[in-house]
Amino acid sequence: MISIRSMTRRSEPYVFAAIVALSLLIQARSGQFFTGNNLVDLARALIVPALFSIGCMLVIVSGGIDVSFTAIASLAMYVTDKTLLASGYSGSVLLAYAMSGALGLLMGALNGGLIGFLKLPTLVVTLGTGSLFTGVMYGVFAASASDVPPAIAAHGKQTLFTAVNLESGLTSNMPSQVLILVGALVLVFLLIRYTMLGRGIYAIGGDEAAAERAGFSVAWIKLFLYSFVGLLAGITGVARISMISYADPSTMLGMELTVIAAVVLGGTRVTGGLGTLTGTIFGVTLMTILANSLILIGIPTYWSRVFTGAVIIVGTGVSARQIGSARRRVRTLQKEA
Amino acid sequence: MAASILKVVGIAKSFGGVQALKGVSLEIDAGEIHCLAGENGSGKSTLIKVISGVHEPDAGSIEIVGRRLSRLSPMEAIALGIQVIYQDFSVFPNLSVMENLALNMELMDKRALMNWGRARAIAAHAVSLIGFEVDLDERVENLSVADRQLVAICRALLHDSKLIIMDEPTSALTKKEVKALFAVIKSLQSRGISILFVSHKLDEVFEISERFTILRNGENVAAGSTEELDHRTFAFHMTGREFAEASYKSDRAPGPPVLSVKGLSQVGSYEGISFDLAQGEILGITGLLGSGRTELVETLFGISSPDSGSIEIAGREVRMRSVKDAIALGIGYVPSDRLTEGLFLPQSIERNAVIGVLGRLCNSLGLLNRRAVAELMSKWIAELSIAAKDPSLPVKTLSGGNQQKVVLARWLASELSVLILNGPTMGVDIGAKYDIHALMRELASKGLAIIIVSDDLPEVLACASRILVMRDGAFIQELEPATTTESRLGELSTGVA
Amino acid sequence: MKRSFVSVLAVALVFVLAVPLFGQSYDPMKFKSSKPQAAWKIALVPKDATNAWFVRMESGVKRYAKDTGINVFQKGPPKTDAAMQAQVIEDLIAQGVDAICVVPVDPSALEPVLGKALSKGIVVIDHEGASQQNCLYDIEAFSNEGLGQALMQVLAKSMGEKGTYTTMVGNVTNASHNEWADAGVAYQKAKYPNMTLLAAEPRVEIMDNLDTAYQRAKELFKKYPDLKGIFGTSSLSTPGTARAIEELGLKGKAFVTSVGLPNENKPYLKSGTVQAVMLWDSAEAGYAMLATAVAVLKGEKIANGINLKGKGWESMTFAPESTKVLLGKSWISITKDNVDSFGF
Repeated sequence: MISIRSMTRRSEPYVFAAIVALSLLIQARSGQFFTGNNLVDLARALIVPALFSIGCMLVIVSGGIDVSFTAIASLAMYVTDKTLLASGYSGSVLLAYAMSGALGLLMGALNGGLIGFLKLPTLVVTLGTGSLFTGVMYGVFAASASDVPPAIAAHGKQTLFTAVNLESGLTSNMPSQVLILVGALVLVFLLIRYTMLGRGIYAIGGDEAAAERAGFSVAWIKLFLYSFVGLLAGITGVARISMISYADPSTMLGMELTVIAAVVLGGTRVTGGLGTLTGTIFGVTLMTILANSLILIGIPTYWSRVFTGAVIIVGTGVSARQIGSARRRVRTLQKEA
Repeated sequence: MAASILKVVGIAKSFGGVQALKGVSLEIDAGEIHCLAGENGSGKSTLIKVISGVHEPDAGSIEIVGRRLSRLSPMEAIALGIQVIYQDFSVFPNLSVMENLALNMELMDKRALMNWGRARAIAAHAVSLIGFEVDLDERVENLSVADRQLVAICRALLHDSKLIIMDEPTSALTKKEVKALFAVIKSLQSRGISILFVSHKLDEVFEISERFTILRNGENVAAGSTEELDHRTFAFHMTGREFAEASYKSDRAPGPPVLSVKGLSQVGSYEGISFDLAQGEILGITGLLGSGRTELVETLFGISSPDSGSIEIAGREVRMRSVKDAIALGIGYVPSDRLTEGLFLPQSIERNAVIGVLGRLCNSLGLLNRRAVAELMSKWIAELSIAAKDPSLPVKTLSGGNQQKVVLARWLASELSVLILNGPTMGVDIGAKYDIHALMRELASKGLAIIIVSDDLPEVLACASRILVMRDGAFIQELEPATTTESRLGELSTGVA
Repeated sequence: MKRSFVSVLAVALVFVLAVPLFGQSYDPMKFKSSKPQAAWKIALVPKDATNAWFVRMESGVKRYAKDTGINVFQKGPPKTDAAMQAQVIEDLIAQGVDAICVVPVDPSALEPVLGKALSKGIVVIDHEGASQQNCLYDIEAFSNEGLGQALMQVLAKSMGEKGTYTTMVGNVTNASHNEWADAGVAYQKAKYPNMTLLAAEPRVEIMDNLDTAYQRAKELFKKYPDLKGIFGTSSLSTPGTARAIEELGLKGKAFVTSVGLPNENKPYLKSGTVQAVMLWDSAEAGYAMLATAVAVLKGEKIANGINLKGKGWESMTFAPESTKVLLGKSWISITKDNVDSFGF
C-alpha cells in the first residue's frame, strides 16, 4: 500500500525543488537572478506559455491532446489585427481581446465538435485543424508580419509597475497582460474545483465509459472544453502581439510542443485524469527560467535547444516512469489476485 | 413466500439477426440472493442490460416491484431501485473515494456546482452502510481491486436500491476477498435488498445463492433452488455436455529431469527453491497472492533474474538474461492476464499464433511464406479445436477460452520442452476450462513438461501429477494429488489450520 | 534482375543530374535585339504581386518606364508559390516578350521554364537567385562582406567607436547572417581598435523570433553591464533589442543595428533609441534588373564596373570566379529622417 502511494506521489515538490536549484545556480553564476527586475522579466516571459499551458493541461487531463492551440492563437490574433488595422479602429483593446477570443472559441468549437460528437481521436483532429488554421492564415490571408493597431500598441505599453535594480540601475516593467494570466488561473481554479463541469473533465479523463454511465454529458463537456481552450488561445494571441507590438503570424507556431512538455513536467498525467494548476505553473516556470537564463548562467545560446530537450526528456521521463511503475504494480496485483 | 421484486417473462432480443435472448424468464424475490449462471455468449449480459434499461427487449414483459413496464430507461431503472455493478466497477480511478461515491448522486440531483462538504457527508454515509473502512481522500486507483468493488457497492447503496446486479463480481478477487464480499452481500440481504449474482463459478453459486437460473444460448435451461444442484448437473446445464475428470497420472516411466532448479533465490520474492521436472509431468504450484509464485515462474521465463541458485535445462546449467533466451531454450510461458499480455488482440488469430516462429516460416529472402503459415495454422486449429471460422479474423472475436488456446497454439508451434501456465483457466468459462485441462493432459502425455501455477485448488488437484505448495516465498510441502484434499491444500497455503 | 534494376537506376540518376550540370550555356552577346527599342517588351516577375516589398519594386519599374520610354511592366503570381510563378513566366513567353527579369521563389523549380525562354531568344535576368543556371546574369544588391562592413560602420558610429559589443543572428544555421556578422567583426578589428567583441557570448541566436530577440537582449544587458552594442543581422534583432533597451532604461547607453524594415523600426528611430538600420531598396533593385536586360538587348558588353543606374548599383563587380553573378553596394541607411518615405 505504502509503496503504491509513494510511487504515484505528487511531482510538484520535485519540480519546485528543481526551480529553486536552478534559481540558486543562476544567482551564483550571475548575481542577477534574485533581483526585482529579473523576476519581473521572467514573469513577463511566463505570461504567454502559462496561458497556453492552462488550456493544454485541461485537455490532457480529459484524456486528450491538443496540438492546434498555437495555430488557433495565431490565426485569431492575425485576423483581429488585420481587421482592426484596416478599419482604423482606435478604441479600447478590449474589442481586440473579445474578437480574437471569439474567433478562437469558434475554432476550438470545431475541435470540440469533431472530438465530442463525431468521437474522432484528439491528436488526429487537432493535427488536422492546426494545419488547417495555419494554412488558412498563410493561404487565404496571405499572412506576413504586420504592425499592430494603435489600441494594441498602447496596451503593450501599459505597465503595472516598474522594478528597478538599484545596483545596475536597470529597470523592468511588469506588463498589464499578467492580469490576464492571474484572471485565467482564478477562473480555471474555480471551474475545476467547484463545478460539476470541471469535475466532469477529470472524470472523463479517468474513465470515459464510467463518466457516461454516471450521467455526465461527455460530448458536451468536450465541446465546452475545446471551445474554452480556443477562447483562451485567442486571448493569448492578442496578449502576445501586444507585448511586442508586432503581429508575426509565425511567432507562436511550434510553441505547442514545449508547452505540452511543460504541462507533463508539471505532473499532469499523459494518459489523462490527473493534473493540477500548481504543477502546471511550476512546469512552465521551470521551462521559462531555463529558456531565458542560459546567458545569465553563461552558456552559449546555441545550447538552449540541447538544454530544453534534456529537461523535457528527464522531466517527462520521470513522470512516465512513475505512471509505468504504478501501473505495473497494480497489474501484478490484479494478475495474481 | 416473499413478494417478487423482479419478474421478467419471455424476453427476446436480437442484434442484427443474432438472437441473443430467445424468450428468457427470471424471477427474483425480495431479499433473495439469486444466481444467474451461463457460459460466455449465453445471454447473461444481454439480460442484465435489458433489466437495467440499457437494451429494449423485442418481446416479453418486465415487472418491477409489481409494476408492469413496457419500456424502461436506465434512469427509470435506477429510480425503481435497480443498480448494476459492472465487472470494471465503472469507477473513476483518478478521483478520490469521496468523489466516486458522491458524483453520481450529485449528477442525479442535477447540481451544477461541486460542494465538497456535501460530497464528504454523502461518502461517509455510503461507507457506513456496510461498515467499509477506507480513506475517503485516497484515489481509487490506489485501492485494491476488492476495495474498488466495495466503493462501487457503497455507491449503489446510495440510490435506495432494491436489487443490486453484480456482474461476475469475484473474477478479480482473491479467495479471502471473495469471503469478505460474500459477508457484505449477506449483510445487504439482511436489509432486504435482493442480489442478482452473475457467475459461472459453481462453488460461489453454491455458497452464496439460494436460487439459480442458468442460461444457455439465450434460453432458460434450468432454474430452482441451489440445494438441488450438484457439480455434474451444473456443468451439464452450463455447457450441454457431460464431463468426467479424474486426476492426472503420467503413464511414462520417470525419465531424467528436463528442468532442474537448485536453491533459487530472489531477495524479497522467493528463497531456496529447488525442484526437478521430468518429461510428461504436470507440476502444480499453488500458493496465495504474494507467495512468490508469479515471481518464481517469471524468473524461469527470463523476465527477471535470480540473485542466487541455478537453473538446469536437460542437465546443462543455463543463464537466461531475457525472454528471448528462455524461448531459445524451449521454455514457453502463458501469463494469466492473457488479454493484455499474451495476445495482440486486434491482429488475426493466424498472426498471433505464428509470431513465435516467424523466423522458421520465412523464406531465404526474409519474406513470410504464406502457405507454410496456413498449413501450420490449420494443424493447430484442428489439434486444439479452436472455434474459429477463419484464422484471418482478429483474436478479439474469439471467446476467452479460445483466446487462451491461441496462446497455447503459439507456444506449441515453437517446439517446446517446458510450458509454464500461470492461472491457465482464470476467467475462462467452464466448458473451455475442461477443454484446456484435457489439452494439458494430452500435451503432457506426448512428452511435454508442464508447470501450472494456480490457486484454483480443484484445478490443481485435477491436473497436476505433483503439487508444490508455496508460502512466503518458499516451498513448504510437496503433495501427491491422489492422497490429498482441497481443504488440506488450503490449510497449507494459508498457514491456517 | 537486381543488378539490372540498379543499372537502370544509375542511368536515370546520371540523366537527372546531367540536365542542370550540362545545361546549355548561352552567350549573352547573341541576345542583341534586332527590333527597334520602341517595340521591346520587358517583364519583371516578382515572387508575389501583393507583398509590400514587391509593390515597392514595381514603383522602380514604373520609374524606369518613365525615364526611358521602354515598354516595361511587372507581373507576378498572386502569392509566393513556385508553380504559380512558373505559370506566369510561361504566359509571358507565349506573349512574346523580349526579356524576363525574375526574382525566383525557388531557382531550381524555374530551370525548365527559364531554359525554354532562353532557347526562344528571350533575355533572362535573375535577382536573388545566384544558383540559377538558366539565366544570363544574376544581380545581387550587395556582397555579404560589404553589408557586414556597412552594418559595423553604423554600430561603431552609435557607440562612439568604443566599448563592448556582440553579434546576434536569426538562426545559427543561417549562412548569410553568419557571413555578415563575420565580416562586421573583421571590419571592427581592422578599423575600430577601441571596440571589443564580447568573448563570453560572441554570437547570440534569436531563432527568427522578435520576442526571443527581446528576451536575449535583456539577458545580455543584465549579465554583462559593460555591453554597449548589439550587431544584429536579422530584421527582427533591432525592434526586439530596442524594446529591451527602452524598458531596461538603457536608452542612450546601449545601441543596436541590423537589417530592418522601416515600419517595424519607426517607433525606435523616432524615439532615438536606434540611429539607423540598413536596407536595400527593392525599387532600385527592380530598376537595376531592367537596366541589365536593356544593356543585353542593346548588345552592350557586361563587365566589371558596369553602371546599372539604380542607387548603389552604379558600379557592379562580378562575384569571385563568376561571369554571371554581379554584386552591387546597394544598401541604404534608414534613419528618423527618411523612415516615413518608404511606405512599408
